[in-house]
Amino acid sequence: MRANPGSGRPQARDLSSDGRLRRRPLLKIAAGVGAVVLAATACGGGSSSEDGVVELRFSWWGADDRHAVTQQVIEEFEAANPDIRIVGDYTDWSSYWDRLATSTAAGDAPDIITQEERYLREYGDRGALADLSQLDSLDLSKIDPLVAESGDMDGQTYGVATGVNAYTIMADTEAFEAAGVEMPDDDSWSWDDYVDLATEISETTDGEVVGTQSMAYNEAGFQIFARQKGESLYNEDGTLGYSQETLTEWFSITQRLLEAEAQPSASESVEIEALGPDGSVLATNSGAMAHFWTNQLGQQTETSGHEIELLRYPGESTEDRSGMYFKPAMFYSISAGSEHPEEAARFVDFLVNSNEAAELILADRGLPANIDVRGHIVSQLPEADARSAVFLSDIEGTIEDGNPPPPIGAGEVVNIIKRVSDEMGFGDLTPEEAAEQFTEEVEAATQGG
Amino acid sequence: MSALLQRRPKADPVAAAPAARTKPSAGNQGAKRRENLAAYGFLAPWFVGLLFITAGPLLASLYFSFTDYNLIGEHSWVGLENYSRMLEDERLHNSLRVTFVYVFVSVPLQLALALALAMVLDRGVRGLPLYRSVYYLPSLLGGSVAIAILWRQVFGANGLINQVLGFFGIQGEGWVSHPDYALGTLIVLNVWTFGAPMVIFLAGLRQIPRMYYEAASVDGAGPLYKFWHITVPLLTPIIFFNLVLQIINAFQTFTQAFIVSGGTGGPSDSTMFYTLYLYQRGFGSFEMGYASAMAWLLLMIIGGFTAVNFLASKYWVFYGD
Repeated sequence: MRANPGSGRPQARDLSSDGRLRRRPLLKIAAGVGAVVLAATACGGGSSSEDGVVELRFSWWGADDRHAVTQQVIEEFEAANPDIRIVGDYTDWSSYWDRLATSTAAGDAPDIITQEERYLREYGDRGALADLSQLDSLDLSKIDPLVAESGDMDGQTYGVATGVNAYTIMADTEAFEAAGVEMPDDDSWSWDDYVDLATEISETTDGEVVGTQSMAYNEAGFQIFARQKGESLYNEDGTLGYSQETLTEWFSITQRLLEAEAQPSASESVEIEALGPDGSVLATNSGAMAHFWTNQLGQQTETSGHEIELLRYPGESTEDRSGMYFKPAMFYSISAGSEHPEEAARFVDFLVNSNEAAELILADRGLPANIDVRGHIVSQLPEADARSAVFLSDIEGTIEDGNPPPPIGAGEVVNIIKRVSDEMGFGDLTPEEAAEQFTEEVEAATQGG
Repeated sequence: MSALLQRRPKADPVAAAPAARTKPSAGNQGAKRRENLAAYGFLAPWFVGLLFITAGPLLASLYFSFTDYNLIGEHSWVGLENYSRMLEDERLHNSLRVTFVYVFVSVPLQLALALALAMVLDRGVRGLPLYRSVYYLPSLLGGSVAIAILWRQVFGANGLINQVLGFFGIQGEGWVSHPDYALGTLIVLNVWTFGAPMVIFLAGLRQIPRMYYEAASVDGAGPLYKFWHITVPLLTPIIFFNLVLQIINAFQTFTQAFIVSGGTGGPSDSTMFYTLYLYQRGFGSFEMGYASAMAWLLLMIIGGFTAVNFLASKYWVFYGD
């Protein structure tokens, strides 16, 4: 908002040569006064148009390739269901949540909403999502049992998992080779092995190749660590389920790596974090290990141009129990305010249970949650995704259980853990203080559950 | 010298009500009314917008600031709870501190630079329109996402700045990703958008009659003396205008901090501007009631500053009457 100052008032009158006041003709203002038309855009969710076709809105986040594919899926569905028209409503991840919150607040939520576990309870607990188990058109019987109940809360099903992925360590085989360091045996490595290995890589390459990217920015890594100790980030009831010792220990690992220069410095880590997956130490060929979800393997392989291998988390066999878990990559939910919940359920059923949709989506929304569908498309996956699929089926036997949906406010943990990790990285907090601050802030954000 | 300044400058740079005008006689009352009508006509679109687009949300946000509105579910009246919570919210206090530092450092620097360059351009440079446009460009772009991204690149660990420093054998920091420097880069970004106040200063400088300077030269005044005793006093309305506007703008800065910090206000809250924190509360944690209360606090702060500015202006702004 920058206004222009009146630089000198225009003199409406000036002296003419004979010294008498003369009027200058003034502008006649007519236009602009009543010409302000307020176009109120009304877009009712799920309106039936005149030809008896039900119109539904479907929202998702993602990049261009996902939009194109999803549009194809919609066309397939419409061809098979001429009585339903699906309107896409898509944007990128960060603005997706602002947009969803505001449209939900306005009573104009999309009929079918793509959800993420951190936000599912946010919407579900506040009555914004329909109970999918009450809808006849949606078959939930074929969903992988490891994620089948991940969208359940208080006896209601607020979301159905689109697919599964797991949090892993990705290792650049060429970086290991360059450092002359053996790849770890991920069936037996411990957390100490992880630290030593990263330190060794940094030392032998003289810092040219850093051992590992910081793991302190994502609470998923801590979730695994806590589960290995028989604890968890959140309990069923949404309270915090870990001890301060465990969290302190987890932060200490990062501290040790920082001190040994086995991971990028604090300010480098901030930069890497801000760049997202495209700026990871693997993507830029400047490091040997990084922590990612399995469905990011394709993207990491492509940007690095190197052979990237998936590793089970350290400590899986050396701690009290295995901590890795399958995460529902996303959820499909139906708005509680939808006027056509059954039609919406038919579409969700198509997305989750049909081979046609899976052949297009492939592993983009995680490896399909429907086990039959997963088996059907496994052979059609691109190379990296195929390896993810093999990896997931390999570890399936070791996974003990899933996680309850995070409590309301879990979306804030993303920022809390970044801030706390930064403060520790820049030396303002010890691992112990970082653990205290994290717990304090998460408790405040989630209101203790 | 001072006798000179008792006379009105030829044209008032700011459209203050000129008291020196003869009382309009009955004969030109009609003209006056027509003139007013014209003004109202020009104001109408903005006014309609205010009434229909701004006023409603404004009042709604005032109401919501007394509730625990979370955007999605029901909301209930909580009285002054949001306001009392602000007293305890350390991150809010930090965001105020960050914002104040930003305003009080970047605005004076920006205005000083704008005035300095306006003086240079006022000397009459060949290709003045070109320079004017070139210097004005950053103002048009400064608040944009593209520039904020560029800033990340320039001040990044391997960015332009560090490459230049490296040329001299200096190992630079990752400026935007270090808590001690990140705010500094945003201050520099704001100073860099000095074009808008500069163009306004330039217009103001053009209004100062040359004869004052000539008379001062005859009296043997040096350039510094002329600057302090002619340029500055006659420019005070313009300085005042720019000051008020830039302070209001600086308080509301959002885009740059949002992009440069990747929406986090990081590293470790060092660029957590008030507006960014408000946004995180409202859309990140769905605490729209609290965010509304924060918005009203910001309004009060900006209103307070503007009021103080106007009150203080009596003592230093010179309208030549």
